[in-house]
Amino acid sequence: MSIFREKGTFTRRQFFKGSGMLAATIVISGVFAKFGYDAWAASDAYIEKRISGLYTLDEKMAIRKSHQNPEILQIYKDFLSPGEVKPVSEKAHHLLHTKYGQDIPELIKELHAHQHDAA
Amino acid sequence: MSEVRGKVLKHGEQTRTMHWVHLVAFIILALTGIGFYFNIGFINNMFGGGANASMVHRWAGVVFVVGPALYILLNFERFARFVDTITTITKDDIGWLKTMGGYIPFLKGEVPPQDKYNAGQKMLGLIIIIGCLLLILTGFPMWLWRAVVPPAFLAFCYSVHFWVAAILILAVCGHFFLAAIHPKSRVEFASMMIDGYIDAEISAHHNEKWFNTLEEVKE
Amino acid sequence: MEEGNGLSTATLANTGIIQVTKKCKSCDHCTSICPTGAIHGKLGQKHHIDPKLCINCGQCLINCPFGAITDTSMVKEVKKALADPSKYVVVQEAPAVRVALGEEFGMDPGTNVKGKMYASLRKLGFDKVYDTEFAADLTIMEEGTELIHRVFKAVGAPGYESSGPLPQFTSCCPAWIKYAEDHYPAILPNLSSAKSPQQMFGAVAKTYVAEKLGVKPADMVSVSVMPCTAKKYECNRPEMIASGYQDVDYVITTRELADMIKEKGIDFNSLPNEEADRLVGASTGAATIFGVTGGVMEAALRTAYELLSGQSLGKVEFKSVRGQKPIREATVEIPIKDLGTTLPVKVCVVTGTKYVGRVIEDVLAGRSSYHFIEVMNCPGGCINGGGQPIRRDMY
Repeated sequence: MSIFREKGTFTRRQFFKGSGMLAATIVISGVFAKFGYDAWAASDAYIEKRISGLYTLDEKMAIRKSHQNPEILQIYKDFLSPGEVKPVSEKAHHLLHTKYGQDIPELIKELHAHQHDAA
Repeated sequence: MSEVRGKVLKHGEQTRTMHWVHLVAFIILALTGIGFYFNIGFINNMFGGGANASMVHRWAGVVFVVGPALYILLNFERFARFVDTITTITKDDIGWLKTMGGYIPFLKGEVPPQDKYNAGQKMLGLIIIIGCLLLILTGFPMWLWRAVVPPAFLAFCYSVHFWVAAILILAVCGHFFLAAIHPKSRVEFASMMIDGYIDAEISAHHNEKWFNTLEEVKE
Repeated sequence: MEEGNGLSTATLANTGIIQVTKKCKSCDHCTSICPTGAIHGKLGQKHHIDPKLCINCGQCLINCPFGAITDTSMVKEVKKALADPSKYVVVQEAPAVRVALGEEFGMDPGTNVKGKMYASLRKLGFDKVYDTEFAADLTIMEEGTELIHRVFKAVGAPGYESSGPLPQFTSCCPAWIKYAEDHYPAILPNLSSAKSPQQMFGAVAKTYVAEKLGVKPADMVSVSVMPCTAKKYECNRPEMIASGYQDVDYVITTRELADMIKEKGIDFNSLPNEEADRLVGASTGAATIFGVTGGVMEAALRTAYELLSGQSLGKVEFKSVRGQKPIREATVEIPIKDLGTTLPVKVCVVTGTKYVGRVIEDVLAGRSSYHFIEVMNCPGGCINGGGQPIRRDMY
């Protein structure tokens, strides 16, 4: 009964191929990491673009301050505080202001009562 | 071919150990992975629910990486020879692929003499090395950096992980069929799974080119 | 009261606006996004959202790698209202919609499609196309005045005793409001009582606008296009009935508007640039920047400075409140004509509800010296809201 084994020779070619495979592994890992980093860097670039979109739009507007909006002045004069521009008038308070948390049930009652008055 | 008697040591002890470790880890990974990717209740429950299955998957993944890594570190020479063999594609390998090693009945033709691994095994080796690398590279971000990586990249990792795993599972199923079930090739089973030896006559027939480079040791 | 719109408040409280669908791949990315810990589930486990904790911001939705999270849709109701000739449908669009809607039609992020947006809404059949920016200006008037009152109370000027405490927090962001209500009820008196622009518009539409147009408020359907999923929750809050009806009936997101435009077969890119309808459609630059973090603050400063000092502001930009850092602070010297002094107004801008806890703790402990604090839930402001086009840029 004889037993056969591989010879102990280790050629230069085998060494380079083995090392080459390890090197290729490292390179592929690096490429993958770069790809991931780029995806990470690009992932929220759109936020900045949308932000600058709005700021550019602001710069192009003829009027850039809220209290100069002609229709705002009109709604106060015609409706919210008749005859003048007076924010937080009674009507504005009723329509444009609210309450939070545990004050809400009371506010809802008030609103319903107000509708009965109006009717 | 002259008649040869005796047996051939095809795979050393460490190689066989590594193969076993990798195999067991792979089966656990495949099962748990399929279980929670498709949300199959009974597979998940085998591992104690989705969250635990995922935990088992992750730590099996660590074994799946550390096993071969340790083997390569301790047996660089063995690994280098393996790489050399599977990356050397000659006319004989093309010939093997053309006839599919004679495994498919209607593909007739002479099967050329093969190396330690036949062309099919070489392909499998390459698929496993590249596949494992991709699984490892995509797997760890999904685990360790899932909070940091952007959703697009996470989704990319998941789909690469999924498709590579699907290909590997199919490849390994084929490998299992040929190595353990097919009557022509299961004669090799013991050389990897048990004692490392294969009958010399079979080896001389299946791996003629390699067999001719061996040295004979008298008992 | 109107008979309801099919999405009762009770249902919304039970299911929330945001749901995880069966497509969930258990990747666990969303739990790191959620500012309130409302998403339950570990890696490998199907996730689900606790509607009690969820503030409906939709950040998980736009950040889900698998598109497995959805928001409650009101598109069907909007289409029904548009098809009903007895209904008078008015629409408002938030500032952030106009720089993102184009992305759904192949344009770059930040492309201004304001004019095409108005045109497409008219093509969809809305009777009047107004603009939330009008209401944003209205918010500045109300919220700015409220701030001035609070400052006057703090310096001891007579006549402002009933005003609230300083610092004043903004109240435009419905996700932030729910967060404050759920987690820091003690801070609620510091919130501006002014409604958000969307709700101001709703209240004005069914009163002022209905009156001017001669439309019965009961026949009016008020729709808003928002970059936001929490706005869907806000419009269904039970107290938002100041007009006598539900102030805003339906909210659709930027994505849903794009879907409606595509479904109708409108060639968005070749639409002409149109203007919003008059009456409550005029806007200013101050209102435009409501859509970005720090924008409400900057708009308020522009108006507060001019109203308090009586001087015209030469340079309207307050660059110190701009940027994307989660917490930014600045001090603005404002001369106050009525008091004859100059007040260094300290302001703070928070983007990301995750970071607001520290600021609130400081206020509650009396360590805070701010006058005005803007809080927006989404990183970067409304332009990155939960209703915006989902981007998956890889390079």
